[in-house]
Amino acid sequence: MSKFTATLERELDARVATPAAPLVAIKQLSVEFPGSTETKQVLKGLSLSVQPGEIVGLVGESGAGKTTLARSILGVPPAPGRISGGEVVFEGRNILDLPEPELRKLRGRRLSVVVPNPRAELNPTATIGKQIAAMARIHLGVSRKEAMRMAFAMLRDVQIPDPERRMNAYPHELSGGMAQRVVIAMALICSPAFIISDDATSGLDVTVQAQILSLLERLAADNDSAMLFITRDIGITAHFCSRVAVLYAGEIMELAPREDLFLRPAHPYTLMLLAAFSHSPKLRDAWSVPETGRRETSAKGCSYAGRCPLAQEVCRERPPPLAEISPGHFARCHFPVVDR
Amino acid sequence: MRVLTYLAKRLAFVIPQLVGIILVSFLLVKSIPGDPAVLMLGPTATPDAIAGLRQSLGLDQPLYMQFFIYLKNLLHGDLGTSWQTTRPVLDDLIQRFPATLELVTLSLLLAIIVGVTLGVYAARRPNGWIARLSDAYGLSAGALPDFWFALVLIFVFYTVLHWAPAPLGRIDMVVIPPMPITGAYTIDALLAGDLEAFWSALSHLALPVLTLGLLNAGPILKMTQATMEKMLDSDFSRYEVLSGVPQRLVVRHALRNSLPSVVTIISVLYGYLIGGAVLVEIVFSWGGAGQYAVQGVLNSDIYPVLGFVLFSAIFSLIVYIVVDLIYVLLDPRISN
Amino acid sequence: MLAAIHLLGRLALIRPRFAAGYLIVLTVTILAILAPLIAPYSPTEADSANFLQPPSAAHLFGTDNVGMDIFSRAIYAPRIDLTIAVLGTLLSALLGGSIGALAGYYSTGHGIRVWLSFAVMRAADVIQAFPVFVFAIALVASLGQSIQTVVLAIAFVNAPIYLRLMRSQVLSIRSMRYVEASQVNGLSDFQTIVRHVIPNAMAPVLAQLSINVGWGILLTAALSFVGAGVRAPTPEWGSMIAMGFQNVVTGQWWPSMFPGVMLAITVFGFSLVGASIEALADPAKRRQLLSDARQRDRKKAAVEQPSLERI
Repeated sequence: MSKFTATLERELDARVATPAAPLVAIKQLSVEFPGSTETKQVLKGLSLSVQPGEIVGLVGESGAGKTTLARSILGVPPAPGRISGGEVVFEGRNILDLPEPELRKLRGRRLSVVVPNPRAELNPTATIGKQIAAMARIHLGVSRKEAMRMAFAMLRDVQIPDPERRMNAYPHELSGGMAQRVVIAMALICSPAFIISDDATSGLDVTVQAQILSLLERLAADNDSAMLFITRDIGITAHFCSRVAVLYAGEIMELAPREDLFLRPAHPYTLMLLAAFSHSPKLRDAWSVPETGRRETSAKGCSYAGRCPLAQEVCRERPPPLAEISPGHFARCHFPVVDR
Repeated sequence: MRVLTYLAKRLAFVIPQLVGIILVSFLLVKSIPGDPAVLMLGPTATPDAIAGLRQSLGLDQPLYMQFFIYLKNLLHGDLGTSWQTTRPVLDDLIQRFPATLELVTLSLLLAIIVGVTLGVYAARRPNGWIARLSDAYGLSAGALPDFWFALVLIFVFYTVLHWAPAPLGRIDMVVIPPMPITGAYTIDALLAGDLEAFWSALSHLALPVLTLGLLNAGPILKMTQATMEKMLDSDFSRYEVLSGVPQRLVVRHALRNSLPSVVTIISVLYGYLIGGAVLVEIVFSWGGAGQYAVQGVLNSDIYPVLGFVLFSAIFSLIVYIVVDLIYVLLDPRISN
Repeated sequence: MLAAIHLLGRLALIRPRFAAGYLIVLTVTILAILAPLIAPYSPTEADSANFLQPPSAAHLFGTDNVGMDIFSRAIYAPRIDLTIAVLGTLLSALLGGSIGALAGYYSTGHGIRVWLSFAVMRAADVIQAFPVFVFAIALVASLGQSIQTVVLAIAFVNAPIYLRLMRSQVLSIRSMRYVEASQVNGLSDFQTIVRHVIPNAMAPVLAQLSINVGWGILLTAALSFVGAGVRAPTPEWGSMIAMGFQNVVTGQWWPSMFPGVMLAITVFGFSLVGASIEALADPAKRRQLLSDARQRDRKKAAVEQPSLERI
């Protein structure tokens, strides 16, 4: 990227943050995965801010870097990833610079993650009650009895049926939906200021999904927490996110307030995601390009160029910057769809 | 109730295994040359006396009959008589087996402490110097001959430094051994309040326990390190890190999850060491059961050998059953 | 052949410990072969006037309690120890391996073969339940004490290991498609085993062989130590240690120490060789080795680059 575009990008990033001081500001976060032959850039200089109490949605397909982002914000990218650059500013400090013990005090306490497929993530030899209570004991320093009481209250809050019995249950005895509620309980028991929900409803039945979503929304509101709601399903974000970002190949392609994104989508990728829900087959076909087999993103140029029906020569040559096409609405495209 | 049915099922399997072991050892020791009657009566015995003894010992019967007679006697608690000690093998073993057990148990404890500690450290920092040291230790510990290592320790700590007592048995010659309750001198001395005997027994245990413990820590170390690495790399450990759990707790939880594998290797080692302590027993004139069996083989005294094999097999089987019960306690996923 | 040497050479540079292992094994083998040329004295000639002499210029390792030169005896000993251990281990692999392969092959199906294979496995269980040393010593006692019976004892004690190894190899290969395909193509059972099972089993068997030779040497020494193996005055590390046993307690350490150190180093060398074979065979460790090798090459290239540019 040329120096000019880099400066431009930074200025725009500064404006991506809305006037009041953000709670969490992700700045130019880059994460790479060393491979046997080459190193893959999974996140490429991603920037995003979240205001206190705000719920920001992030939509991306499999492999776009959702889980990498969710975990890298807290400084623990999935193995074998490495954070190669950027900052995560929380309450005025770049937490990625903090020494590990300091960072651990923040994780789970002020910033926490709700993970997908939680049964594999829970300790198989400890009871649910103990694991939830452990969060309270470690971060809030309360006594064992008090922690168990808080854990029990949390289980009731996440509406797990029969919470007395579940306190002594082991992870393998839970269904997917129950395990998801447990993980939510663990993430929220310390009333964190910032919650990252990483694909928290994947693999669950539709009815359970709806319950989990409303649960998250209510708990976030109750605790005045800000949330970064990461999902594969763009439709869900319409439900309760005030702003939505679209992630593709490790970069934010579009970022807009909810109404703008759904009523005036600008990026071809966003349009493809929205068109997938449309009833009109013509519309769907208009925005999706059949897979050419190679999912390789070119080293230069726009990473979406290979699948974009509007792609031109310049798209394959120069990467587009994240430009503000209307107040608060940003798109990374040389030819954003602006007319309606 | 469930535990009882489980035990009953295991025991049902165990009996044919035991019979098999006894059969094989019976055939094996019977093929050792040497006429027991001649050996017992000595070179001056008359042919008639020899024939008479042979008949009373049942040695004139065909082999399979002798085996059945042996089995029948076993069920009555008669393991035969040793012509060397002229005592029933059962009595000899009741005296000697606890000596071996005391030695082996303490050695195993040392091996566990060394193996698990080094294994956990090596797993936490796979590229650190402790990990490299543990690798080297694991390889070399298995390569050293135990009887030679015992000699090295004797030379350093007894001959040169005069710290350890002479390698002549379990207790100082001038000290009276405590009343045998368990057969282990240390425990019995403590039970009797006899501190002099306790310290004497402990000091005599020092070198043999060091030998066996240090040399056998290898497998425990490797298993602990390998399992801990897997656990620290697992999804749930990463989730704990993600949730801000301090590292010492993450390690503790990982260790808790590694216990089944480590317990397995400890149980195998325990069974192995009962017979594997033989050479150390010989070097230190320990008077243990393994030494008893070896003397039996070398002197064509077959019943001690059979008795020892039986004791050691039963011991191994008990250890395995106990370990299986421990698994149910350790891993909540099994009890269903 | 050249490729193998080249591979070993590169291996030596990335993991010096493996190189040390191969070096040790090579040295001991050379000693075993060339002992008569290197030893300053005869291994069985006793100079009773000069007994229990500490190490000196004349006697590098000193003399033992009957006056024999320990250095000469110590370098003659590998002839016995190594031969016994290698023969015993090879025998155990052949015996155990072939029975194990058959047991695996006939573990399912009908008829008496299945029963036999089950019985064989239970027999292996029984053998492995025996205290190893007592079993070995009883075998030697029952067959008569000689070098051949020690070899047989080693073979018997280790056979179950190869039995289980080959059996599990056969069972895992059997379930793979290409074996079924070859059977459809009309290959006989035997040919199937030879063509598919043996190449796959090579690596774990080789690693196990190397480690077992080390154990075999230890067992031989242990048997000789208690007087049930190789008889004096034949030079053998275990019996040498036994002969010097009482002397250690009184302060003359050299008759027992030197043979013990050589014994330990030799077994250690074989363990390292076994570990190196395991490392090459295990895909994860091999990747680690390859990446380390590439790193080394890159560093080397980085060093060499500037000189090229200067030219």
